[in-house]
Amino acid sequence: MMIPDRSEYLKGLAQTGQKIMGVLPALYPRELLWAFDIHAAEIWDPPGEILHANAHLQTTICPIVKKSLEFILKDPDIINAGYLFPHTCDSLQNLGTQVKDLIGVSLPVYTFYNPKGSFNNTTIKYYRDILQNFQLTLETIYRPLDPEKLLTACELSHKIDSHLLAIHQARMTNHLSLSNEEYFKLMRAQEYLLPADYLNLLEQVDILDQPGESLKTRLMVSGILPPTSKILEFLDELGVSIVADDLLAGSRRIPKFSMDAPSSPIDYLTDRFFVLPPCSTRGGDLDERMHHISTRMKDSRAQGMLFDMVKFCEPELFDHRLLVKTLREKSIPVLTLETELEHHISGQDKTRIEAFTELLFDMVST
Amino acid sequence: MSIRAELKYKIMKDYGAPAVMAFQDFKRRKPRPVPEAFGPPLETNKRLKEILSRHYFLSRYVPGVKKVAWVTSGAPVELLRAFDFYTIYPENHSALVGAKKQGADYCGIAERSGFSQDLCSYARIDLGHMLSGKTPAGKLPKPDLLFCSNNICQTVLYWYKAIAHELNIPLIHFDAPFVTTEQTEADINYMAQQLQDMIPILERVSGRVFYQNIFEDILKRSMETSKTWGAILDAMKAQPAPMTIFDAFGHLAPIVSLRGLPVAQDYYHILMEEVDARVSMGIGAISDERYRLIWDNIAIWYKVRFLATFFAERKMNFVTATYTNAWAETTGYLDVKDPWISMAKTYGQIILNNNLKHRLDLMKKMIKTYSVDGMVMHSTRSCKPYSVGQFDLRKAITADLDLPAVILDADIADERVWSEQQIHTRLEAFCETLEGSKFG
Ligand code: SF4
Ligand code: SF4
Repeated sequence: MMIPDRSEYLKGLAQTGQKIMGVLPALYPRELLWAFDIHAAEIWDPPGEILHANAHLQTTICPIVKKSLEFILKDPDIINAGYLFPHTCDSLQNLGTQVKDLIGVSLPVYTFYNPKGSFNNTTIKYYRDILQNFQLTLETIYRPLDPEKLLTACELSHKIDSHLLAIHQARMTNHLSLSNEEYFKLMRAQEYLLPADYLNLLEQVDILDQPGESLKTRLMVSGILPPTSKILEFLDELGVSIVADDLLAGSRRIPKFSMDAPSSPIDYLTDRFFVLPPCSTRGGDLDERMHHISTRMKDSRAQGMLFDMVKFCEPELFDHRLLVKTLREKSIPVLTLETELEHHISGQDKTRIEAFTELLFDMVST
Repeated sequence: MSIRAELKYKIMKDYGAPAVMAFQDFKRRKPRPVPEAFGPPLETNKRLKEILSRHYFLSRYVPGVKKVAWVTSGAPVELLRAFDFYTIYPENHSALVGAKKQGADYCGIAERSGFSQDLCSYARIDLGHMLSGKTPAGKLPKPDLLFCSNNICQTVLYWYKAIAHELNIPLIHFDAPFVTTEQTEADINYMAQQLQDMIPILERVSGRVFYQNIFEDILKRSMETSKTWGAILDAMKAQPAPMTIFDAFGHLAPIVSLRGLPVAQDYYHILMEEVDARVSMGIGAISDERYRLIWDNIAIWYKVRFLATFFAERKMNFVTATYTNAWAETTGYLDVKDPWISMAKTYGQIILNNNLKHRLDLMKKMIKTYSVDGMVMHSTRSCKPYSVGQFDLRKAITADLDLPAVILDADIADERVWSEQQIHTRLEAFCETLEGSKFG
């Protein structure tokens, strides 16, 4: 399975004249963009050092915000249709207006509000309204929306979700023979591949008829992004398999269950938002989140939980205490790492990961 | 409601609280000497202490008499008042802890229980209080209800969720969409509908029925109180200004935490009278006001006295602040004829829920109308919505208005973040530039 390199792929696309919008984390109606022939290239942790962004942001701001600003400040050629800031957290909320109103960029800046808290009919109605408002915004810049195109986009999205759900399920039940690194590379390819290309990639994934060998130590991971590739590599070396996730850049963006195929796009998009798994950034209920995690752990037979926390990420840090406490009460081993998205793995983290996996291994053997 | 508890509450309200206040007053009879750099202190300070102490004192006797709600500073509390909730403002309480330089202690309790040191210190202090029961206010009642709005930050939602879980009590959240350009009709209707959806829940928790006329009276009172607060802040345009913004940080407490109650309304009338009188007599808050400054962001509670003195000694007075203005800025939208929509407009557009262009324009206007010579921005580790964007705000303001400005890295209530050396160096450099720019 060949996954194209992110920057090469986007460069190639831009050269073909494809409209590309830079989208910040995390939840947004990608299908609406697709219906306007705009490709959504997500900006989570672009490579490169944080230099210029430091002149705009305090030291206590999370590296995802800083790295994305660093990327935007470079005015990259691959982004030609503007930037979209979904409303995810206080920092991204302010970054959106900072870029638009104070720093200024040559491209348009859009925002998209995601409702917060517990959801009811009032929230559902509002979400429909904001979808329609976003559509109107795009129509004023581009052209009237072609309803057929939106339906096709929703169908594509539905197929991608279905494949992803199947792949997640296969991962949980050992029907997938991908290393940790390969698996998350595949998951993250949706951040930049055209939906048709991504679907094509997912269709190539080999889901085994019979479960593979199940000797490995099994781990679930929670946080914003998957662990960095160095950590994933290290876990592979140790024979640890990440069998389930509760990641914002991962399963929290895939409906909890398989949805009916779309017939009315706005209804479909609204329903889809409300059947996403509980997430700190949406201010969801803590019990619901804990229940969701427990179910995933049980279904995947994960023996422990790795929290990979982005430094200064308030939404996750608040929930983290209770999640850890509850898991420990259930005697589930927990390891928390803190990342600034650095590309190396510190000696200390290595030792902690080793000790943790040994503990899990001992638990399995005894 | 227990008759015994009600009787006790009534006795405490009518006799206990006045007796305690009189005793405290007696203890304070020998006033602290006022440093030369300051003008005569406000008489109303005494009243402020009284009503706040009384509020905290009476809260101990409230369980069993009224339902208690913990509320965030930007939440539309008028609705709760219509159900006679006794309201406690954890942010206000955390500021109190911070001002007493006990923030690190309370934060430590929360941190040892697993909350990260990188979280907002108001939240950590409150969680520290919740986990330990410690408070400088004697004792705080446990909430029956939590009421929060993300119109100041999303942090409060995470924080209140944690309390709701720990105490197993209901949480009502008012979701206020961030205003990126302007409020849309959908935003306004969404907020207005949420408020109306809350009524049955509030009726259930409070055991009281909602009466529109009572609610409207509260709304009127709240609007009138906020307007008076706005007029008090306006009076600081006078030269010399009758108060410093450090005074205003204290006098802000009733508008935040007693908004909608007669006590707050009466209080600001008294303060207004005193401020007006000082303006007409030319009495300034500092003895010789030669430079006028604007403050951006929340106070550094554990250093208020230090900063007030530092600047007063240099003949510099803070005459305005984005923070104190927040409870006056959007009052104009309140309209009893259209309560739900007007509350949506009022509470949805407050400074922290509004884009940075709005903040930039507002600050520029304040700088002009208050004849400001320099700007001090507190970049606080705790508060992302207040702090992200400050570097570029400073750049835009200094470039457009040629105004000296300094950014202080500190925290609102966790005194461990204060770096004496760094702050002194920055402040001295700022004062030199300011003096040079005005008279150099
Ligand atoms: S890592 Fe956390 S703080 Fe940073 S952008 Fe994501 S949600 Fe916001
Ligand atoms: S200080 Fe900022 S982050 Fe903390 S509660 Fe207040 S507004 Fe929210």
